[in-house]
Amino acid sequence: MASQTSETKKTPLYEEHLALKAKMVPFGGWMMPVSYEGVLAEHKHVREHVGLFDVSHMGEIRVKGSEATKFLQYVTINDVTKLADGGGQYSAILNEKGGMIDDLIIYKISSDEYFICVNASNSDKDFNWIQKQSKNFQVAVTNESQQWSQIAVQGPKSMAALATIASPEFKNLSYTHIQKASLFGESCLIARTGYTGEWGYEIYIPNSIARKTWAALLKAPDVKAIGLGARDTLRLEACYLLYGNDMNDDVSPLEAGIAWATKLDKGSFIGRDQLINQKESGLKRKMFAFKMSEDGIPRHGMKAFDLKSGEVGEITSGSVLPTVGGAGGMALLAATFKEGDSFLVDIRGAKKHATIVKRPIYQAKAK
Amino acid sequence: MALPKNYKYTKEHEWLDVQGNSAVIGVTDFAVEQLGDIVHVDLPAVGKTFKAGDSFGTIESTKTVSDLYMPATGTITEVNNAVKSAPESLQSDSFKNGWLVKVQLSNPSEVNSLLDAAAYETFTKE
Repeated sequence: MASQTSETKKTPLYEEHLALKAKMVPFGGWMMPVSYEGVLAEHKHVREHVGLFDVSHMGEIRVKGSEATKFLQYVTINDVTKLADGGGQYSAILNEKGGMIDDLIIYKISSDEYFICVNASNSDKDFNWIQKQSKNFQVAVTNESQQWSQIAVQGPKSMAALATIASPEFKNLSYTHIQKASLFGESCLIARTGYTGEWGYEIYIPNSIARKTWAALLKAPDVKAIGLGARDTLRLEACYLLYGNDMNDDVSPLEAGIAWATKLDKGSFIGRDQLINQKESGLKRKMFAFKMSEDGIPRHGMKAFDLKSGEVGEITSGSVLPTVGGAGGMALLAATFKEGDSFLVDIRGAKKHATIVKRPIYQAKAK
Repeated sequence: MALPKNYKYTKEHEWLDVQGNSAVIGVTDFAVEQLGDIVHVDLPAVGKTFKAGDSFGTIESTKTVSDLYMPATGTITEVNNAVKSAPESLQSDSFKNGWLVKVQLSNPSEVNSLLDAAAYETFTKE
């Protein structure tokens, strides 16, 4: 067992992972399973069947009050007025320079209540920021991260797996939507979202029923537990960003390739002026998906060069691409690049050719 | 899998099958197990000489890259291209068909200071 500091937290499913002989690693302040039987086998299982992920380390923040909509419109980049009750949207919170504090999903519970899912390692930072911005609004911001466990059920057979424990209403959920559900007599939330590129659900359950829920889902047909290793290769093929790898406080959502979630015309929000300046003066760098055209595996932080060996950016995420084949990832490169262009990745001193491809690198077949 | 008794081992988890002045070098199944899914192996060109302790290549799993260290000074005489093209094969057979390089040893007495199977086994259990 790797050394463990007293600050490393355990999810309510920690013992379940040990029982499944998971390799445990510290991640974002938590001891998490990186793999159970092997990253590649787990990756394949999610693409073909259904995988269970313990994502209880993720943070949950609730914003409630008569000005909840107005407040979130000001503090996030997407347009929350477009959400119907039960709807969800991908969004982000920015600092005053227009850099990303975090990316997140906002679900609208009702006209004065929203439920926000944020990254594990950012949950305190996000909560403090959101709370600080809220003082001139009629809202209450609560950090509920300690109360909730979260399990992701992902893969083409995820509906059948979840149906073994949930009553059938959830089957009507549209993509990104959320609904209340009762599991083992407790109030829960089921959202149709995910981080794998497959059909799937993320369920929010009180800690008290986490082990029961996990064990019941593991008994469903074709279900296996999946670790963070495969979660990373799955999300990379689907080109979902990973905070801390693909973006941080210095990267704007326009640079990160999420302009589609950035509604500059919705009115004032934190960071908007800086984004407008950036857009008007022209983006210097942009996120691209790429595949290696040669041997070698790109990794986060490796430098990228043009074919004349001028430095043009860096790899933000890289790995083997188990479903697509070969290796590739995402890179923050000079904005002058376009799909089909070649560049070079410095893999420990050897410059290897890569080609920019369309995002996402992998797309599930329509159901 | 039991450690081959006649091999020599290093604390960096390489094994050597020494035959006179030459040796076959690979990584132990303990290392393979620790690394997880191996997806890439980078090996040197035949003819290159490495000192004991030099990195002669890398072995890469889905998540990490590890250097391969030369256990004794020598010149590469052959590399295992089968492992290069199918690195996952290391998972099942790291002690035989999963060999990485063959070397001509410059100073065969260097291997005397390496671990024997019993000492390596003790080391991995520490």
